[in-house]
Amino acid sequence: MILEFERPIKELEERISGLHRLAGGSEGLQAEISRLEDALDAAKRRVYSNLSPYQRVQVARHPDRPNFRAYRDALTEDFYELSGDRLHGDDAAVRGGFARLKPELGGHPVVLVGHDKGADVKARVAGNFGMAHPEGYRKVGRFYELAVRFGLPIVLLVDTPGAFAGRQAEERGQAWAISADLMALSRAPVPVVSFVIGEGGSGGALAMCLADYVGMLENSYLSVIAPESCASIIFRDPGRAAEAAEALKLTARDLKEHGIVDEVLPEPLGGAHNEPEDAIDTVGGALGRVVSGLSEADPEALVAARHDRYRRIGERAMQDGTG
Amino acid sequence: MDAVFTKCERCGQPIYEKDLGARFNVCPHCEFHYPLSAPARIRLLLDRGSFEERDVGLLAGDPLGFEGYEERLAKARRRTGLDDAVVSGVGSLGGRRVALAVMDFRFIGGSMGSVVGEKVARTVEHAYAEELPLVIVSASGGARMFEGVYSLMQLAKTSVALSRYVEGSWPYVSVLTDPTFGGVTASFATAADVVIAEPGARIGFAGARVIEQTTRERLPEGFQTAEFQRDHGMVDRIVHRLALRGDIERLLGFVA
Repeated sequence: MILEFERPIKELEERISGLHRLAGGSEGLQAEISRLEDALDAAKRRVYSNLSPYQRVQVARHPDRPNFRAYRDALTEDFYELSGDRLHGDDAAVRGGFARLKPELGGHPVVLVGHDKGADVKARVAGNFGMAHPEGYRKVGRFYELAVRFGLPIVLLVDTPGAFAGRQAEERGQAWAISADLMALSRAPVPVVSFVIGEGGSGGALAMCLADYVGMLENSYLSVIAPESCASIIFRDPGRAAEAAEALKLTARDLKEHGIVDEVLPEPLGGAHNEPEDAIDTVGGALGRVVSGLSEADPEALVAARHDRYRRIGERAMQDGTG
Repeated sequence: MDAVFTKCERCGQPIYEKDLGARFNVCPHCEFHYPLSAPARIRLLLDRGSFEERDVGLLAGDPLGFEGYEERLAKARRRTGLDDAVVSGVGSLGGRRVALAVMDFRFIGGSMGSVVGEKVARTVEHAYAEELPLVIVSASGGARMFEGVYSLMQLAKTSVALSRYVEGSWPYVSVLTDPTFGGVTASFATAADVVIAEPGARIGFAGARVIEQTTRERLPEGFQTAEFQRDHGMVDRIVHRLALRGDIERLLGFVA
């Protein structure tokens, strides 16, 4: 898939590869090729250093963006997957289990949980495009309990448009399931480390990022509502999604500035979908560093600090006239 | 409106407004529960003259500089006489002191922004510090979009506050009224020891219209009503508004 604003880049890339084919060993075309390569580099820089918030949302949703499975395979070894909520079923929109970080990342055993958007059409449909049902959030709640029971850090990878909005999700208590996860993370006496690797859609994302550390990839987003829905509700026009995305301050950089997240993780030029390994390495570096840093922390102190962090969040969003 | 009587939107019968007020906005003919303001709800629940309001004067800023928010806030404050969509404090219910927070749907649809989250969290903390039962009455359309991610973070703020409270042995009673949706249901409103709902109240995560638009599914009659939620195991009891005070009093008799 080629995003609209990526078109000039893709056109240059096609011309370059066309010339490569023509050129063979001919030196005459080399000058032209290197001129185009410079232009390509400049175009990438121009486009990607000036992405609007809504363009970033589109990058965050890109189907080729590295997903849960890619991170799991690259950053951990011996992923021991667990399934089911013990009440209703197994929701493929979220996955998790025990995992060991790669030796170069510290080798810590952790409980790894993430939204799974799937890498191909079949997996995407099976995982409901990363939109979990209540059984998914209850499965996640089980993983939180296991982590606490065995004193393992919880590592979360967030990538969801939101918790699923549907009849069955309501019948099985979507709100109740999310609320229970928030309560569980609020008091889990183990390190909780979360990365927003793509979409961070509202409550369905927060159920997996109430954490001691939240890192966001540069082109990921975290928002209380999808920009399209916000535009239809506030501006009564879904076509004004770009404006809504702007107004919601949902980009990684905005959220860092507002003190909501800890770190913006730079993506390779052209976005994570162009150089997946680079993006995964960046997340891996932060993951290893943060888990190692928190692994010796006193469990009670962790809970207290997490409490204070969220208790104080958004103090500046109010005028406190209570004295 | 200066008419002394109005027509019930549900059953069509004429109602004297005085009667409706005396019955806390419950239709005397069909028992339909109309929305109730926070001040009236407090009169309904607490012993006369016992309410001490707390945390007055917290005002929403406009953290994102969101177009139109200041105007919406000013209008809501003028229309309701409230600072924001929640009124909170301590008082006695059947002679027993409780911490109480009541949401008011008239204030920007009871949406949860930083002030709602903060006042709910502080009410929880008063209850914790003073060893009181906690009662929260919700009425909310969901997130306050004008505050963006700050609105989302109120789910976290209220959850961390509650997570301390529930370590103690004082009860938390949540009352869901029409309508209660979104971030409020996905956080403190459902994390209670006992969840009570008013008859016919619409309660859920996503609104029915959103679900119909996204899934093109026809939703069954009575979808997301209090009764639907009780039948699906999500709500403990459906309690008529005029019986609510007595019902909570009975409950606290067991657990407080």
